[in-house]
Amino acid sequence: MKRLKRRTAITIILAAALAAGVLYFCVQLIRNGSDWVGFFGTAFYESGAIYDSKGTQLYNGETGEYAADSNVRRATLHLVGNRSFGTSLRTVLSGRLTGYNFITGTALGGHDVTLTLDASLNAAALNALNGRKGVVAIYNYTNGDVKCLVSSPTFDPLYPPEDIETNKNYDGVYLNRFFSGTYPPGSVFKIVTTAAAIEKLRNLESFTYSCTGSLQIGDDVVTCPYVHGSNMDINQSLACSCNGAYATLALELGADTIEDYMKQAGLLESHNVSGINTAAGSFEKQPAGSLYLGWSGVGQDRDLVNPCSMLSFMGGIANRGVAVVPNLLAKETISGSPIPAALPGGKESYDIYSAETCQRLKEMMRNNVTTQYGQSKFGDLAVCAKSGTAEVGNGNQPHAWFAGFIDDPAHPLAFVVMVENGGSGADVAGNIAAKLLPLAVAE
Amino acid sequence: MEELITRIKMIFSQLGEQVQGAMANVDTSQAFLNVVNVVLPVACGILRIAAVVVAILIIARCLLSLFREKPGKEIWGWLAMNDGTRLDLCHWENTVGRGRWADVDLNFPTVSRSHIALLRDAQGNWKIQPLQTKNGTRLNGKPLRHIVPIHTGDIVELGGLFLEFYAISEEEEREQAMRWGVAERPLSPARTLGFLTLFQIMMCVQCMPGRDVTQLAMLGVAYALLCAAMWGMYVLYRSLKRTAFEAETMAFFLCTISFSITAAYAPGSLTTQCVSMIIGIVLFMFLSLLLRDLRSTVSLRWPVAILTCLLLIFNVLLGPRIFGAKNWIDLGFISFQPSEFVKIAFIFIGAATLDRLFARRNLLFTVLFCGFCMGCLALMSDFGTALIFFVALLVIAFLRSGDIGFLALMGTAAAGGVGIILEFKPYIAHRFAAWRHVWEYYNEAGGYQQTRTMSAIASGGLFGKGTEASFLKSVGAANTDLVFGVISEEFGLLLALCTVFVLLVLTVYAVRCASTARSSYYVIAANAAAAMLVFQASLNILGAVDVLPLTGVTLPFVSMGGSSMISCWALLAYIKTADTRPNASFTLKLPKRIRGWIPTDNDQEYAIDDDYYGDDYDGYGNYEEEYYEDGEYDQYDGYDAFDAPPPRREGDWQIEDSLNSRRDPGAWEDLLPGPLWGDKPPPDRPSRGRRERRRRR
Repeated sequence: MKRLKRRTAITIILAAALAAGVLYFCVQLIRNGSDWVGFFGTAFYESGAIYDSKGTQLYNGETGEYAADSNVRRATLHLVGNRSFGTSLRTVLSGRLTGYNFITGTALGGHDVTLTLDASLNAAALNALNGRKGVVAIYNYTNGDVKCLVSSPTFDPLYPPEDIETNKNYDGVYLNRFFSGTYPPGSVFKIVTTAAAIEKLRNLESFTYSCTGSLQIGDDVVTCPYVHGSNMDINQSLACSCNGAYATLALELGADTIEDYMKQAGLLESHNVSGINTAAGSFEKQPAGSLYLGWSGVGQDRDLVNPCSMLSFMGGIANRGVAVVPNLLAKETISGSPIPAALPGGKESYDIYSAETCQRLKEMMRNNVTTQYGQSKFGDLAVCAKSGTAEVGNGNQPHAWFAGFIDDPAHPLAFVVMVENGGSGADVAGNIAAKLLPLAVAE
Repeated sequence: MEELITRIKMIFSQLGEQVQGAMANVDTSQAFLNVVNVVLPVACGILRIAAVVVAILIIARCLLSLFREKPGKEIWGWLAMNDGTRLDLCHWENTVGRGRWADVDLNFPTVSRSHIALLRDAQGNWKIQPLQTKNGTRLNGKPLRHIVPIHTGDIVELGGLFLEFYAISEEEEREQAMRWGVAERPLSPARTLGFLTLFQIMMCVQCMPGRDVTQLAMLGVAYALLCAAMWGMYVLYRSLKRTAFEAETMAFFLCTISFSITAAYAPGSLTTQCVSMIIGIVLFMFLSLLLRDLRSTVSLRWPVAILTCLLLIFNVLLGPRIFGAKNWIDLGFISFQPSEFVKIAFIFIGAATLDRLFARRNLLFTVLFCGFCMGCLALMSDFGTALIFFVALLVIAFLRSGDIGFLALMGTAAAGGVGIILEFKPYIAHRFAAWRHVWEYYNEAGGYQQTRTMSAIASGGLFGKGTEASFLKSVGAANTDLVFGVISEEFGLLLALCTVFVLLVLTVYAVRCASTARSSYYVIAANAAAAMLVFQASLNILGAVDVLPLTGVTLPFVSMGGSSMISCWALLAYIKTADTRPNASFTLKLPKRIRGWIPTDNDQEYAIDDDYYGDDYDGYGNYEEEYYEDGEYDQYDGYDAFDAPPPRREGDWQIEDSLNSRRDPGAWEDLLPGPLWGDKPPPDRPSRGRRERRRRR
């Protein structure tokens, strides 16, 4: 009998296995319960609603309704989304929309989420893109509130196109390009090279460059679209975006320094925007003295940046070196009541360059607008910006970039416009920005 | 004064008019309904939280009652050594040998590890069985090779060591039970049942919102029946002087939860639950009584095995043709799953008494029977139940042989078998393709149920969302396979965890009983039953939440379904029989009832069960017939010239006097402080006076 008693351990092992399994499940539940509840497969738990800053309903979980206006539906599709959109708020905030918490589950009802976004501005931005693929985003660089965020192509969620899988116009339609896309930055990247030059090159004030249309590096050449002029200082070089001048600077600075400054700018990291993780940019170090190093300083080699990181970077320059991470959520309340359901999230920020460097960059970017792009486009707004025309090869049109900010404490807005295969940055993207900024300021 | 009265009357009549007017006013009654609609969910919410508290209280009381004291030892006899040392026999089946794993440890080099076994039956008759042949064994000076009866005063010689055997008398047995009854009293079961009744009312009320009058009536009747069955069983226990009710309380607790999820889903199905629970309770008592006499239990093994096999064959061959389902038998008025009843039979057949554990090939029959059952279940595509059988077989095999190598061998064989099945029936493997990836298959067969279950569990939080708001119950098989999720969603994770905990407590209870159990049959049966319950619970719960693959077995006692409920009560009977606390189980006869029951003619006893020992002793010539049928031991060549116990040799034994005084059939109360329990008498309880009085009456 004693032997038998010892052998009963096998029953205890079975019981322990059950206990361990249940414990393991409970740990999983604590960690993932919110995701499980909000999972779209269980339509039973969809509740809560999403509103824009003006109270326009963008989506209601209980009724399944989207916004009333088709343009608004299209312009906010990537943010509201459905299960096909990995970075949509319905996916990312599913746990909050259901009102889930571990103690009471969803017993206390869903939550309504109000965004910082202005849906009408989004619709205007989508119109300005005029069917081209690309991204438009505007945010307040002092508190992070995103005013406008559009990714194109898009569609009306009430009438999904039937040829969505085959039509080339819908390539990457489920991707929110603002959060998940990475693109060659083109000449916008020259700001990073400039920042490195300001801080690393002592003789920058005496730097001059005479553009001949091409710069010989070894056996190869870095070319400019046209001859920019002779004896340009750094301000002029940036304003006319001279590739030769920036290739020279890049060779002088070296790949390590440029990468370091790209990293300081936050362009190599992923950021968390209200629960949505952005794609990280990349930089490929090229050997010292090579043609590719020259091109990478121009933003034309294999460097890739994410539009959202670029937006925060612009905000950081405007905000004296402190880049505020964009934020989409204004408030969260218990459904059908004004009772707050969550504490307002504190703004997140990270440091980029020193305040002096940012001030210098700001002046140079302001100079770009006044001397190159034309102040008249922007009315009386003190816009500081840099354009980019990123060659993509294969005979395709270059990506058009226009990124910058308004240097005005009354309207602390930073913006980024990127049009895929749009052509000239200053013209195509610049004009979209010029169209939207007055609207954004008028808010 | 009169004026005052008139005024009061006026005020009242005005009030009455107002109330009447308000009732007539539609808006007001609507407002009243609105208030109800607001108040009811809040009230149910508070009830849910309170129910969890009461549930924890019930479980805590059961735990306390079960585990607050170490299980006491029963002493059924002893072996006295030459120097007066007394070696207690604490079970009905004892091994005597050298080393700490023998029940009676004789630390002499000439004694084998398992030298002999001393076996007692329900009637108090003892037998001695030699377990080895290397070191000699003699009984009263005669060589012993086979199992024979032994009586008080017989001298056993083990490898040169002389021991006198002594069995306790009837009085001593009664005294032992009584002393023990005072020492170990369970926590008042009535109070625990009172809490359980409160719990049942709470659960019943929670199932009420949103039900029409017919359903409410059904609900009330079902819960009333549940409550009545519980108290009825308790009263029956009390009238039979059984006081331990913990295992039954826990089973009723699980039944209450089962009733609640059934009521929340379809109050109409409560009838099945009710009827099957009552059948289950009857079966529980019947099995408990049957297991009293292990000899007749063991002799029933063959008939049960044959019946079981016939049932399975019938089900496999004719089931689909007659009833349209492979694993169901539908008799029109009742339909059931035979596999659930095979579980009961399997343990009945698989458990074994100690003497069989030492027989060669002792497992063959069980393994073959289990293999047959599993094969039939596989043909029925009931792989979950087949797996449960396999695990039960592993537990039984390990308990009987202690051989890990054998377990490994069977495990390998099973893995091979599974491999072959998957080779020929790849669609079965496909069923498990979603395992651990259910979210990728959230709208396909492989992951549909699990994802919904996990969502539902999270959605319910710790205290649930109530029976009305539940959605999981509308998913297929929710009230059987996904029942853990249904409980979590409707009544909260805490209550669902309570369910698991109760099953774990039942398992630990079964294991704990092993240390004092009288027979290895009870230990093996209790452990196999507990293993079945706990493994089935693992498959059900962990399968529903994607820790294990979903196999579609029921959660013991809780899942909706009659057959499952009945078989769980039967399995509980196996667990309960191992409990040797006095007044705990039906299986243990109370000493008072033993008096007069002992058959005077021992030989008649042996004539009944030639089947019992028969298959163990093949190859020993005419042993079976002559030994038992004639009842004359001297005809048996292994034990020459044995007629009767030799006359006692007065003075040979130092302890003779004490033995004689104990055998004095006089006032047994005088023996209370006697040495039977060593120097320390069991602790008295304050309640003793009351019990004592009652006893004297």
